Amino acid sequence: MSKKVVSLLLTATMVATLAGCGGGGDSSDPAADSGTEGGSSAGAGSTDESNADESTADAGTETPADDVEKPEEITIMVDGTVFTEENGRDQFMAKLEELTGIKINVIQPDHDAYYDVVGQQIAGGDWPDVLILASTQMSSYGSEGVLWDMADAWNNSELKKRQEANNGAGVVESMFIDGHLYGMPATHGNGCVTYVKQKWLDDAGITSLPTNFDEYYDMLLKLKEAEGVDYVVAASGFLNAEAPYINYFPEFYQDAWPSFYQKEDGTWADGFAEDSMKEAMRRLAQGVADGVVDPESNSYATSDVRNKFYDDSLGVFTYWAGTWATNIKNNCENNGLDGTMAVMPPIAEVTAGVQGQHDGNGGYIDRVSPAWCITTQCENPEGVFKYFIEAMQDGADTQFLWTYGVEGTHWSTAAETLYADTENAKTYAEGEFHMLDNLETPGSQYTKAHIDPMLALTALANDPRETTVAPEALAAQELFNANSVGAFVVPSTDAMNQNNGDLMTEKQSLVTKVALGQMTVEEAYEEYESQGYAQMSQEIVDSLNAQ
Amino acid sequence: MKEKKKNNTMAKIYKYRGFYLMFLPVFVFAIIFFYAPMLGIRYAFTDYNGIKEPTFTGIQNFLRMFSMHNFWSAFWNTIQISIIKLLLTTAFAVIVSILLNEIANLLFKKVVQTIIYLPHFMSWVVTASIFSLILSPSSSGLVNTFLVNIGVLDANSTIYFLGTSKWWRPAYYIINIWKETGWQTVIFMATLAGINTDLYEAAAIDGAGRWAKMRYITFPQLRNTILTVIILNLAKVMNLFESAFVLQNNAVLDVANVLETYIYYQSFNSGSIPNYGYTTAVGLFKSLVGCVLVLVCNHWSKKVREGRGIV
Repeated sequence: MSKKVVSLLLTATMVATLAGCGGGGDSSDPAADSGTEGGSSAGAGSTDESNADESTADAGTETPADDVEKPEEITIMVDGTVFTEENGRDQFMAKLEELTGIKINVIQPDHDAYYDVVGQQIAGGDWPDVLILASTQMSSYGSEGVLWDMADAWNNSELKKRQEANNGAGVVESMFIDGHLYGMPATHGNGCVTYVKQKWLDDAGITSLPTNFDEYYDMLLKLKEAEGVDYVVAASGFLNAEAPYINYFPEFYQDAWPSFYQKEDGTWADGFAEDSMKEAMRRLAQGVADGVVDPESNSYATSDVRNKFYDDSLGVFTYWAGTWATNIKNNCENNGLDGTMAVMPPIAEVTAGVQGQHDGNGGYIDRVSPAWCITTQCENPEGVFKYFIEAMQDGADTQFLWTYGVEGTHWSTAAETLYADTENAKTYAEGEFHMLDNLETPGSQYTKAHIDPMLALTALANDPRETTVAPEALAAQELFNANSVGAFVVPSTDAMNQNNGDLMTEKQSLVTKVALGQMTVEEAYEEYESQGYAQMSQEIVDSLNAQ
Repeated sequence: MKEKKKNNTMAKIYKYRGFYLMFLPVFVFAIIFFYAPMLGIRYAFTDYNGIKEPTFTGIQNFLRMFSMHNFWSAFWNTIQISIIKLLLTTAFAVIVSILLNEIANLLFKKVVQTIIYLPHFMSWVVTASIFSLILSPSSSGLVNTFLVNIGVLDANSTIYFLGTSKWWRPAYYIINIWKETGWQTVIFMATLAGINTDLYEAAAIDGAGRWAKMRYITFPQLRNTILTVIILNLAKVMNLFESAFVLQNNAVLDVANVLETYIYYQSFNSGSIPNYGYTTAVGLFKSLVGCVLVLVCNHWSKKVREGRGIV
């Protein structure tokens, strides 16, 4: 009898113990969560909450006493802006799981095919919980009910306060579509500025950068003559299929916009039919005919143009501001070239297409930032927003991870010499923060992780960016920030979904043919009308106006 | 009588149960991978974006398709490019096979064969990159530089072969000949190897030279094989994607866009959610045309191959 009593007691104790273990691991316990998130230390690179401002520390380490449950496991779909497998994705995700307490499964297609795979994944019906989407896709999928509306969650979040404190909330507000917010940007959108090789300028005896199109074109002609090259400037495509369409040839497009936009009176129009677009096409054609614009821009991938710039085949290159300024400089220097670049302020005629109408200024286009979206198949969207998306901009350890990566893999504070025995040798003292050598392309240092420190929407406590951001990157970014106009999100309609594939293909074809001199502008627009594309465009405009 | 027949069939199945058992995996495979996906055909008659439930629209997608200029352009491009490519590569394969057959030195013959087979194993992406460089209008383009150096072209008027409608197709055919001729010679070489050497000896006794032997023995012996190859490949002319996709660009879509790339652009070039109903309709139309071609080819095949069809 006593044996039976003892065994019953032992069983009861064991059950109670197991139940206790389960309770301790309950992710819905806010106290347990805050301990996990706030207790980690990432060494010298970690944030010191005692020094961080109050709102930052609160948001990064505490969970308000609400009933938002932390998800145990989520699946995310990301492009190449998150570390790829070759660049230490496993280490990054392991650290992220440690900081968030969420098991994260990653789907990461090839960067260039990302949106093709997203389309297939969505059509297949097996949606990830979270995915990165560009503005056009976000608008389309949002209108079709694929994406969870995070407007309320954001409005009631600490994240909004932190972004407001850092002048970052406006970026989020510009992403609202009819009162809905389908995605959370991690940074400002950023955009492209025009880089000119200083050596080429010197060789051509050009002492000041152009301020208008005539001067710009004159500069291209002089550079061609001085260097004896085939062409001076190129881009990946004369017209891109995705917004912001024209940002690689801003000087030629100027105020033209090849797609749909909302006019000041609130009605919608297709900029492709306007005179500004016709003039832009004529300028491109002239550039190709004069041998300053590379005709093979028609078939180049972005990497082709970069490589041509790095191997000195080109001297002018419109590309991303910020850290890309450093990448461009380093890659040119790695090829034995002078890496000094002159960054051009936008010429007078560059009004960022129709975007300029929104605030009357103009300049380069600050694109709508890609955003982190939560799908409606996600079982716990509030939890994912709070513990994954909001944590990404917590101003503390998790934001640090998304900004600089993992200690020992992407950055370090150890005393060491990188690229020893080369002319690019860099020596760092103990405790000095520095980015490490790129795992995939040895010879160049990492500059950032997913969040560009210069574009962050929230302040990062103990941000080492003063030591990591190179002066040329900072200069390019500041020039862009001072001379750019925010883009806007175009809503999606059935007519757009139905017709825009055909329409965009035709627009690209016509612009290219005119640029290559195979067709005049008049012939192009005659074809546009006669083959029904003008009608197609009007149907989309009507559908946008009917919304 | 009927009952007896049924029993007889069952008895046969039982007798050959081992064979039926071996056939079972193939049957299941065919059902799952060939026939089950055909259920997707129904989307051609719906408005379907892959997210919301499809809504029945009858033949609207087909009416829209037939009204689209780009569709018809892609359709005729597919037919023209495929057939010309087929005829050219087959003709070159026959010529190369006959020439190879004339080589007496076995080692040299094998080396040549191996060299001309190799391009077949190169991916189309790599092939496109190589020929983009070779045909580039810049000073790094091999062909243009050569033409400039021999005085055919002026340095300022080089030809953008892959970016001009007039030149794209000739360039495409040449690239295809370079890549596929070698591989296609395999089947012709096998036929040539099977020709009775007595015929050549008899012809030699009759005073026939090399050219006469080729004309009166080799070529007639190859004729059936040539027709078979053409007929078999004719049934596949609608399936043209990779080679056209990697070599085309925005400047040449009027001559280079084929049905499968048209479907691709419809799906991925809108920046928004494609109508899979429409793209399925285009795919279904393509399959129907392909099906008709198979039946026509089958008919021809029976005539040419003495009653043996391809299906």
